Amino acid sequence: MASQLQGKRILIAKPGLDGHDVGAKVIALALRDAGAEVIYTGLRKTPDYIARVAAEENVDAVGLSILSGSHLELVKLTAEALKREHADDVALFVGGTIPRGDWDALKASGVDCVFDSEMSLEQVVDEVARRLA
Amino acid sequence: MSQTKSGPRDAAAARRTTPSGIEIPAVATAAMRRHPDDSAPGEYPFTRGIFEDGYRGRLWTFRQYSGFGSAEESNERYRFLLERGQTGLSVALDLPTQCGYDPIDPMARSEVGKVGVSISNLSDMEVLFRDIDLAKVSTSFTINGTAAIIFAMYLAAADKAGVPRAKLTGTIQNDILKEYVARGTWIFPVRPALRLVADSIVYANQESPRFNPISIAGAHVRDAGSSAVEEMGFTLANGLAYVDELLARGADLERFAQSLSFFFYVHMNFFEEVAKFRAARRLWARLMKERYGARTERAQQFRFGVVCGGSSLTAAQPYNNVVRVAVETMAATLGGAQSIFTCAYDEAFQLPTEQSAELALRTQQVIAYESGIADSVDPLGGSHYVEYLTDEMEVAIEGVIQEIADYGGVVKAIEDGYLQRRIARSAHERKSRVDHGESVVVGVNRFRNEAENKQVGEVFSSSASTAEEVVRKYEKIRDERDGAAAARALDTLDKAARDHGENLMPYLVDCCHAYVTVGEMVEQLKKQWGEFVEPVKL
Amino acid sequence: MTASRAPRAPIHRRALGRALSRIADATVAEALAVLEGDGRARGEVWRCGITGPAGAGKSSLVGRFVNARLAHQRRVGVVAIDPSSPYSQGAILGDRIRIDAHGDDAELFVRSLASRRARDGLADNIANVLALLEAHDFDDVLVETVGAGQSQYEVRELVDTLVVVLMPGAGDMVQAVKAGILETGDIYVINKGDRPGAKEMVAEIASVLRHPQGPNDWLPPVILTSALAGDGIAELDAAAEAHRAWRARHVDADSARRQRRRAHVRALVARRLAEVIEAGDDSLWDADVASAYHAVVAGLDYPDQ
Repeated sequence: MASQLQGKRILIAKPGLDGHDVGAKVIALALRDAGAEVIYTGLRKTPDYIARVAAEENVDAVGLSILSGSHLELVKLTAEALKREHADDVALFVGGTIPRGDWDALKASGVDCVFDSEMSLEQVVDEVARRLA
Repeated sequence: MSQTKSGPRDAAAARRTTPSGIEIPAVATAAMRRHPDDSAPGEYPFTRGIFEDGYRGRLWTFRQYSGFGSAEESNERYRFLLERGQTGLSVALDLPTQCGYDPIDPMARSEVGKVGVSISNLSDMEVLFRDIDLAKVSTSFTINGTAAIIFAMYLAAADKAGVPRAKLTGTIQNDILKEYVARGTWIFPVRPALRLVADSIVYANQESPRFNPISIAGAHVRDAGSSAVEEMGFTLANGLAYVDELLARGADLERFAQSLSFFFYVHMNFFEEVAKFRAARRLWARLMKERYGARTERAQQFRFGVVCGGSSLTAAQPYNNVVRVAVETMAATLGGAQSIFTCAYDEAFQLPTEQSAELALRTQQVIAYESGIADSVDPLGGSHYVEYLTDEMEVAIEGVIQEIADYGGVVKAIEDGYLQRRIARSAHERKSRVDHGESVVVGVNRFRNEAENKQVGEVFSSSASTAEEVVRKYEKIRDERDGAAAARALDTLDKAARDHGENLMPYLVDCCHAYVTVGEMVEQLKKQWGEFVEPVKL
Repeated sequence: MTASRAPRAPIHRRALGRALSRIADATVAEALAVLEGDGRARGEVWRCGITGPAGAGKSSLVGRFVNARLAHQRRVGVVAIDPSSPYSQGAILGDRIRIDAHGDDAELFVRSLASRRARDGLADNIANVLALLEAHDFDDVLVETVGAGQSQYEVRELVDTLVVVLMPGAGDMVQAVKAGILETGDIYVINKGDRPGAKEMVAEIASVLRHPQGPNDWLPPVILTSALAGDGIAELDAAAEAHRAWRARHVDADSARRQRRRAHVRALVARRLAEVIEAGDDSLWDADVASAYHAVVAGLDYPDQ
């Protein structure tokens, strides 16, 4: 698992008002343990802020953690913000409580991969590494 | 990745400790007890229960979670559930309301009416309880950052409906300390937030003594990945912090202590959960008596509600969750919970449907009326294993409380990010154990069946028009209210907040009566107190 | 001192972010090919290092300080350095979100760097990174780094003003003196000023600091702050301005430039040395010490290989 993500820079963000951050923190730690340089934003960040940080940090991927049910709108707003920052080429991942029925809509919004909260950390790292290769 | 050879023997051989790390004897004996405790139910230190007659005297409250979208939609759902035998209402508020943002605030964008009902002013509260007699129904609000405000609004609604405040029953969660470490709907920095909690408790004790002004929650740190011992330890430590704050503000221990109640998750290790509650009753009673000198039984007694489900539920093979919730409910009743909320089986991946919510309620009813558990008080009392676990957990829980005290107390631990980091690391460990199969989760890391991982039931979502309606109503009230009166009320609130000795509740109630909005009250207080800055630590 | 300028082009975060990655990831050969930028006189650019032990609340302090700098209408670029994990080479870059926590100012740019191979609290190519920011028209370039003692000497040579942030109760004064913490700073800050012992620490440090030898020497002020409450920030900003003014009067620009160039070259040589040693195979190390030494030195000469 170590070094799979060596040299990759990843932003883990909490958009909107959802206060459940432990999943995001656990993922951030797992990505770090796999060699990535990870920025975790903390709670209550706006889509505009997330896009701004993604650009400044030149990240390879943005991971949004959303457990409030507002994922469709927040993802759309974030994708639009990334575009405004000329960062829409950055990989976009989403995790949290995302019903399968919404996955297609999210992908249409620009999401590259939706992560299921029951995936193991190894699976998450493998998938991220595969997409960022 | 299904297992072909599996069975109870593998599990028993591998497992030697409870998930909290307490050693499990293959066979428990009476000699394993630390000190025998012969107290009866209703007798200090209340290990066997706080009531002499347990559930024979009074069954637990069946409290189900609901509330979403607009106040009108929620009002309909409440009347539906009350007709079906629910005995208490549990109100979920949307995130903007919880975090103190009005529906028009840019921070509220995308979140209005999603995880609960939007309440921004008194008119919303009145609509929420239309045709519901507040004197006859017990209402529990899951609200923390804005708890004092929402409670003030509930009182104002009762005032307007002509219901005497003394008749009101229910709860506001109002447990701000855990928000900083596990739930995230904080607003102000820790110290002024504690003041608001204390003010609301003292006011409730005076104005509506049957209303529980706080439900100190362990559920969320548990959900975040803590063990049963950590859950109870952090929560009791928070409880002690509230007691300290109330005493510092001159409140009367015997009076407020009886209004403190708690709230936990019940997870799948059946006996650990039962022991957790028994240990907590004993430990809390001891702390109240020995540390604070509480003399009356009511001030020493540990009252609590529970949630069965939460993060113990899986999205994979969701019907397994029906079994999990039933097992957990049994543990809760054997542990003597005063109220129980059972999760719907689809809770892990969607907001529950009417059908799944009903099944969750029926689960409690089947156990209450068909299983016989309620017929004798603390039926597991005297079991060698349960008494042994109770003793061990009491020691372990007290260890966590001491750890925080050694660090410098809860407030410092939160401001420094110490607790937050501890919880994140616990969660990481727990996830790794599940990932590596050391903790079995049926359907996820064992006995998988991809064919069953389909979506069950309907996908529920609040209507897209809800947010627009909410904003429209909000703007209408803002336009129609007496602006000058609202401004005066806010100004008076501001002045009162500057005086550290003032109880802010009456001023909040006045603001509510003047149709001042939640966001306006919060903004006013932020001007003085500032906002909490999250110490992001991993 | 307010810089009055014609309105300038907004910061293009994506482009600058990419350029920073290129330079941060560059090998020594690539780095040499990039313009250093300090050949031109850039007198108005102020470089400030903020250092000190972990836990002192540096990032929150920088967040407050940055707002004071922005209020001068200055364009501010901040580089926050976090340590890479020695096990996984990954890192949690946790400082920056505290630095821009209070604002989304258009004139602020914040970038995190992991220390990677650097062991002195700095990051690979830090000298080039700072030069790049200057080339992008920033007025203030701030570097935040973890460090005490030895690492301070490294960052000292890269910046005009070095701010050392300490906090009360963090160990006794003897340790601080031994670690050389009190040798190199231009401004000392005691953060978390509301904690017990803070005021005492201010007095202690002020008494231990080397006294100025002459009237033209700079006496480092010791400032009490609380980043959480926003106290002491105005004083810190005033001290920064005072130091800038002092430097303008008393520090020879040529000598400063030489010193900076020396530090930059030393850093490049150190990195090249690490590259050569990492690339060396068994045959290199099987030889005797003198032969190995000459082989390594020869390798330094060919940064393209």
